[in-house]
Amino acid sequence: MKTIRFLLNGKEASIEVEDNETLLCALRERLGITSVKEGCGIGECGTCTVLVDDEPHYSCLTLASKANGRDIKTVEYLSSSGVLHPLQEAFIRSGAVQCGYCTPAMLLSAYSLLLRNANPDAHDIKEAISGNLCRCTGYIQIEEAIKNAAEICKCNGQD
Amino acid sequence: MFIGQDITRVDALDKVLGKAAFAHDLTKNNMLFACVVRSSRPHAVLKRIDVSAARALEGVVKIISHEDIPGENLFGAIKKDQPFLAAGRVRYKGEAILIVVAATEETARRASELVRIEYEDLENISDPFLSIQSPVLIHDGGNLLSHRKVIKGDAAKAFESSDVIVENTYSTTWIDHAYMETEAGLGYLDDRGRMVVASSTQNIHYKMKEISRLLAIPPEEVRVIQATTGGGFGGKLDVTVEGYLALAVWHTKRPVFMRYTREESLLAQTKRHPLYIVYKTGARKDGSLTAVEVNIVGDTGPYNSYGETVCLRAAVHATGPYEVPNVLVNSRMFYTNNPVAGAMRGFGVPQLALAHESQLDEIAGLIGMDPLDIRMKNALKRGSLTATSQVLNHSAGLLETLKAIEPAWRERRKERPGSGFGLGCMYYGIGNTGISNPSSCYLTLTPEGRVEMHSGVCDIGQGSDTVLLQILCDALGMEEMGIDLVRGDTDTSYDAGSTSASRQTYISGMAVCDAAQKLKKYLKEQGYYDGKPLKDICRDAADKGVPIFEGYFDPPTTAPDPETSQGAPYATYAFATHMTEVDVDEVTGVCKAVKVHAAHDVGRAINVSNVKGQIYGGVAMGIGLALMEEFIPGKSESFDNYYLPTSMDMPEVEAMIVEDREPTGPFGAKGVGEPALIPQAAAVVNAIYDATGIRMRQLPCDIERLKLALEKDKENKR
Ligand code: FES
Ligand code: FES
Repeated sequence: MKTIRFLLNGKEASIEVEDNETLLCALRERLGITSVKEGCGIGECGTCTVLVDDEPHYSCLTLASKANGRDIKTVEYLSSSGVLHPLQEAFIRSGAVQCGYCTPAMLLSAYSLLLRNANPDAHDIKEAISGNLCRCTGYIQIEEAIKNAAEICKCNGQD
Repeated sequence: MFIGQDITRVDALDKVLGKAAFAHDLTKNNMLFACVVRSSRPHAVLKRIDVSAARALEGVVKIISHEDIPGENLFGAIKKDQPFLAAGRVRYKGEAILIVVAATEETARRASELVRIEYEDLENISDPFLSIQSPVLIHDGGNLLSHRKVIKGDAAKAFESSDVIVENTYSTTWIDHAYMETEAGLGYLDDRGRMVVASSTQNIHYKMKEISRLLAIPPEEVRVIQATTGGGFGGKLDVTVEGYLALAVWHTKRPVFMRYTREESLLAQTKRHPLYIVYKTGARKDGSLTAVEVNIVGDTGPYNSYGETVCLRAAVHATGPYEVPNVLVNSRMFYTNNPVAGAMRGFGVPQLALAHESQLDEIAGLIGMDPLDIRMKNALKRGSLTATSQVLNHSAGLLETLKAIEPAWRERRKERPGSGFGLGCMYYGIGNTGISNPSSCYLTLTPEGRVEMHSGVCDIGQGSDTVLLQILCDALGMEEMGIDLVRGDTDTSYDAGSTSASRQTYISGMAVCDAAQKLKKYLKEQGYYDGKPLKDICRDAADKGVPIFEGYFDPPTTAPDPETSQGAPYATYAFATHMTEVDVDEVTGVCKAVKVHAAHDVGRAINVSNVKGQIYGGVAMGIGLALMEEFIPGKSESFDNYYLPTSMDMPEVEAMIVEDREPTGPFGAKGVGEPALIPQAAAVVNAIYDATGIRMRQLPCDIERLKLALEKDKENKR
């Protein structure tokens, strides 16, 4: 066991983790953040995506100890100011949510894209979510939502 | 008006916030973890099971075998032929043998690996054609599960007088549902000692009954709750974790959680049925179809699951959405020692669509007719007779879907070598085939002055909760959504039947309408429509005891004739046409779907955004079925070697909604869930032919298969 300290959704967090424990496990089991999903556990589906220093990572393949000193974001971050992020609004409005199991991870991949690229084209969007499987939606309304949110973020000057 | 509007989903907010509690997220104080020990052999007698090492592991609480089952050790939606836990014999690789319950999930899994099982192998009946001849019986009644026929007119005679005949064989393989959330749930005893199971499921009332039989307790002593469910597509219709959880709770008296790993879900859960289809089509020179003869052989694995359902549904849909005067279909489903095949989006119809749509294009090619024209010529329309001689009295919008596609089809142009265009049409009977499949619900009023809808419908992501609320609001003539939804719990709802067969909008929608009529009458008497606030009505009602308004609907159908399947197996049908443009790289064999036009007659789109969502999702699954998905027993162990479409594989999709209103449906609605998938693979295959001149008759047309076909073709041409 060792103690790790990191920023979790903007707040300091500190937990004890096993050496071989995944970040997925630490977030879900130790911190109760169940928005991070396990769809496969071996880096094939993307439902466990979290942001490490604003870059998407599969938390099932990331050792918890690697989070030490980093900035970890889960979907809770997007509405931490008390209002929905434009991406969340757009996901709701565009019908981008069906069963919703892939949704938190999709939102994070999309959020990371918009940080890197405020004007993503259709291909950029497809690429950004290509590591996130969705069995329900066929991705189209998700892509629409991301495009719409990008427009709104630009107008708001929001990240 | 709520119908036809894009009302946002009632479940979407919690899902974007990450707050929705999926089955995987359920937890309780003091809970234990269960996992299942599964067979490593496809067909064997269990000689000896040694659990001593597993039992000795610290943290192991209980190991449960078939001998520990208090009630009946058999389940099945159609026929009770599958054991919860193998009793002396296993019939497929992955079959459940024991349940291990432990203090942690890791301990449970570690202990399960310490169980030693001695098998005595029996002949592995690895395909249905072996099954036909084998003296080894998988079940005492023989290896043939089901044989259904459709006989209309005289096909043999009609072939004699046909101008052209095309005959080919098609085959499809196992497909995994691959819902992103694997099977999971939590079981516990409530304060009164009742058995409660919350799980990821498509049918709560059915599972309540199965648990009651398993534990030999009355159904009222069981409560099943639907957790937020991460996809279903048919795979969560069968009992999955629910039986194991109930047994584990029964024996430990503690809360128990379990979930399948992805590998376990792939190994043990049901799959789409592989079908082998020999298909013969006759037509006249003018393109009109004269006769169809089809032989279908299916592989259901060792248990029925939905094998009989698929056998019959494939048979009655075998001709596709066309007027065919003479029909002879033999559809047979065999037991094998392969994975259990069960319900999956379309119940055999997508497989048949591959065949009838390919055949039609071949006929068109022979007589020099345009593929769209031959479809228009033969399309079922109002007044037509189906293959089962059912007269289509109402909604039948196939022609309208073809017309919606027509401009794009006529203007299609091949931009580059390797590009091609294909069509696929389908029809699909809404609801179960020729049997009663009712839905019921009830409404009541709350002290706060709101209507409460009690619904047993499992929303698995398709959006039925929202759609039913929209229907109720309009049926009551309400201005705003003043309705509370109480859902997904056998304690607080009536049986709505399964979320399958594209039936919930149509059937449960009608049940809601029925209840709404009664509530409306009551509200009228109480002066609601004259301006009396609902709150006052509710307060008055509370003094006298709040009334309950029950709704019920069972679609009118007739049982198929046992010999000929003639009859009216469905109350209504959905229709669709997909057009697909592909790009085939003739060197590498990579086929990319570029653009899809998908026109669907849904009767009435209650929620346009939901309908489009179903169409897009169906196209994606159809692309997977056509181009990449293939479950190979023993090989497909994870998403590493079972490929699913990603965003990069998706074509551009133009969803077109046709509304030929169905008078027996809620505000004219039918269904769209399965139709969205059904014609897609067929359209891809026809487009590949257009691009390359090669007829792919086996799915999937993945890179290797396509490359091989292209190379062979080149050699032949040389
Ligand atoms: S759980 Fe599937 S990639 Fe991590
Ligand atoms: S919405 Fe179900 S997996 Fe994406």
